[in-house]
Amino acid sequence: MRVLRFVLRRLLQLVPVLLGVVILTFLLVRVLPGDPIKTILGPNASEADAAAARARFGLDQPLWQQFLDYLGGLVTGDFGTSIQSGGAVASEMAVRLGPTLELVVIALIIALVIATVLGIWSARRAGGAGDHTVRVGALVGNSVPEFWLGLVLILVVYSVLGWAPAPSGRVDPDTNLSLITGADLLDAALTANGPAFLSALHHLMLPVATLVIVIVAPLLRSVRASALEVLRSEAYTAAATHGLRDRLLLRGYLLRATLARLPALAALVFGFAIGSTVLIEYVFSWQGFGQWALRGLLFRDYPVVQASVLVIALLYVLVFLIADVVQAILDPRVRI
Amino acid sequence: MAGFLRPDGEKSPLLSRRSVLQLGGGVALLLATGCAAGTKAGGAGAPATAGAGTAAGGAAASTLRIAVNSYISSWDQDFVGFDLIGLMLHKNVFPYMIDYGVKDVAGGRILDTTAVGPTFAESFEPDADNKVWTLKLRKGVKFASGNEMTAKDVKWSKDRAFAAKANVAGIYRLIGLTKADQVEIVDDYTVRFRQEFPSALTRQIQAIALYVFDSEEAKKHATDADPWAKEWFAKNAPTGGYFNVEKAVQGQEIVLAANTGYPGPDAPKTAKIRLSVVPAASNQRLQLEKGDIDIALGIAQRDIKDLKNAEGIKVISAPSNAQLTIQMSVTTAPFDDPKVRQAFAHAVPYEQIIANVYGGEARACKSFVPLDMPGYVDTGYPYTHDVAKAKQLLAEAGKTSVGSELVYESGNEEQQQLAVLVQSEARKAGIELKLTSLDPATFGERREKRNIPLQVTMGELWVNDVEYMLGTSFVKDANLNYSNYNNPEIEQIFEQSHTVVEESERAKLWLKVQEILARDVPWVIVCQPNFNLPVRAEVAGWVQPMDGLARLRYLSIAK
Repeated sequence: MRVLRFVLRRLLQLVPVLLGVVILTFLLVRVLPGDPIKTILGPNASEADAAAARARFGLDQPLWQQFLDYLGGLVTGDFGTSIQSGGAVASEMAVRLGPTLELVVIALIIALVIATVLGIWSARRAGGAGDHTVRVGALVGNSVPEFWLGLVLILVVYSVLGWAPAPSGRVDPDTNLSLITGADLLDAALTANGPAFLSALHHLMLPVATLVIVIVAPLLRSVRASALEVLRSEAYTAAATHGLRDRLLLRGYLLRATLARLPALAALVFGFAIGSTVLIEYVFSWQGFGQWALRGLLFRDYPVVQASVLVIALLYVLVFLIADVVQAILDPRVRI
Repeated sequence: MAGFLRPDGEKSPLLSRRSVLQLGGGVALLLATGCAAGTKAGGAGAPATAGAGTAAGGAAASTLRIAVNSYISSWDQDFVGFDLIGLMLHKNVFPYMIDYGVKDVAGGRILDTTAVGPTFAESFEPDADNKVWTLKLRKGVKFASGNEMTAKDVKWSKDRAFAAKANVAGIYRLIGLTKADQVEIVDDYTVRFRQEFPSALTRQIQAIALYVFDSEEAKKHATDADPWAKEWFAKNAPTGGYFNVEKAVQGQEIVLAANTGYPGPDAPKTAKIRLSVVPAASNQRLQLEKGDIDIALGIAQRDIKDLKNAEGIKVISAPSNAQLTIQMSVTTAPFDDPKVRQAFAHAVPYEQIIANVYGGEARACKSFVPLDMPGYVDTGYPYTHDVAKAKQLLAEAGKTSVGSELVYESGNEEQQQLAVLVQSEARKAGIELKLTSLDPATFGERREKRNIPLQVTMGELWVNDVEYMLGTSFVKDANLNYSNYNNPEIEQIFEQSHTVVEESERAKLWLKVQEILARDVPWVIVCQPNFNLPVRAEVAGWVQPMDGLARLRYLSIAK
């Protein structure tokens, strides 16, 4: 019940935070230089045509009126109409968000597992050759730009070895996958489409690997540092000197305590990973949320920019909320 | 030690620590297994491209695979933004009543803008005064819905275009069509267009604008709030064109199937075309080399040089009417002085740009009128790279040095290379340039203010005619007149040209235009880069589109 109360309280706190984000984004995007209407009109458009286009998107209204209309729309789930495409932003976003979240969540889970296993393994062999290898490897992975790494993986794994599919989408279109969430793997599972599931996994292989290599280093360093701290703690030393079995020491004393710090960092890394996907999506023809938001920003597609910032803010807050809950479950010293 | 244990007496949380870890571990294991399975599917069974490649490559010998760099932004041509992939697709999936013919030029084939003929229509002809044009439709032409294409569809489509006040309404003004009631239904298969004045541009303008919606289908999706079914058409492809959209996977792939009911000449040569979205040019190159795609529409210039010698690939190089220019703001210092503009025109290293930026794949252009446009004379741009002459002209303007900003599109590699070369040579003449790259929206807004002293522009005119060129680029307040150029003589010639239909008379006007522009030099005409298209060796039939929008119906592949 305590957890539920905490979650409820935090969700209520979301409202003012998101309202602030809505106001700031609405104003800031309009302060940016650039006129979205000019990017959609043909070379022979007159001022009257521009005025008509402005009226079509409500941009002829006073700013306060535009804001109230936008806010009113948000309450009913209407994010507005994209200036570039003329389509509803909510439906465009729905098909873009799934692929990006799928990519980020899978990469983050794999990175967390790798960081946990290697971090603890490395800490228990601190100072040894294995420890150094892991640390240097992680550092190198972290230093490589994701754009370059993606291209190299494509060149080697697709072009030379032929193990990966062509970087031109997320799933083989011939598997006739029905769109439900936009996350192809999930959609394939939900519709029991085996070929699409395998194809989606196959297509995920390289982009996920790229993202994992990029994000695993900070997680690994954190796990290793925490594990070292635990290994040198009195509690662990006492347990070890009492002759507890290695397996019990690892599971009962080292793992749980080591992971206590990880959720907060994982939440931060999640945010970083969302940002990193812009380039990864470009390299792997992923057509996800990042590319959609970037295009919106480049062309000053106000409704698209507003919706994407709002959703990113919402994701951040929710992920930190989840991290806090997980941390409280892992670490009883934390009271929520 | 107690710190690591849950205190007794506490209620169990919804998830125990152990279950959280077990759940996380389980999911990770599942995914890792899946990834391994995915890898095996490609690695052991067949080359990994089998996943996508077999489907695409093995689909049918008559399937052509094209990579494009973005997905269509909207299927609604009346309201679409400036999206070249979208406009190209529209050209192939909307039923256009008339279109350009094809002619052979220097071993290649290009669209012939002087020979506009009927395609879906039976005929499109003017009256004796060239003011009233009659469109006759063929009988029995059907949309995918089964509805027959009739005069009411044409009328509804044109009413919609006027209501949209966007793309079509803008160009219709050039031929004296400003109101919906100038388009009249005569009978079920005849529509009349009553222009306010005769125009030599009518055929070319209508080749761009005469596309038709299935109005019966559209009305099913119209609402009081959306009487023109904009929302529906933004997401749903039109039907009845040379190709119908068989499948569209948002953001990934569009499959076109030839419309077997097309009644006109030059029917599609390929039964099926798959367009896959591959934004990164380097990936397009890799896929072309591996044979996973047949045509790469969006490859970088530097890759094209390498691909010329690649096995199984040929590079189609066709002369294009796209012009690369640097517009000078004639109302902003220091380019408000014609002598300074002339000096700058002499400071630009034309040959160096053609050789270094385009690897020789560009033509020097000696006029403001593009090469291949009727009326072109090679005395229309008497400026060559001559630093001494540039210094002399600068001195005549009473200056030893001037400074300016040179703006180009961010992310445009060729424009960046051009800007660097121009900066280096201009410095030798005493013109110091500060390079600025701008994103599309910021560039658009600054252009609107007409105060960018120097800016790189690149584009081709959709109507291959000097009247259209003047109307879009050189008359006062023309949309592409970023120079803010204003010359009463040009204005007068432009007005006069509306009603001059005779070719020889028009040629005289265009000669005068070129003399004036050569003297005033509001733009630097850098060159006309060729259009280069890398394709698999089996691809044939490419027709160079003079409007930049590929007509896919001419393409074929021998497998």
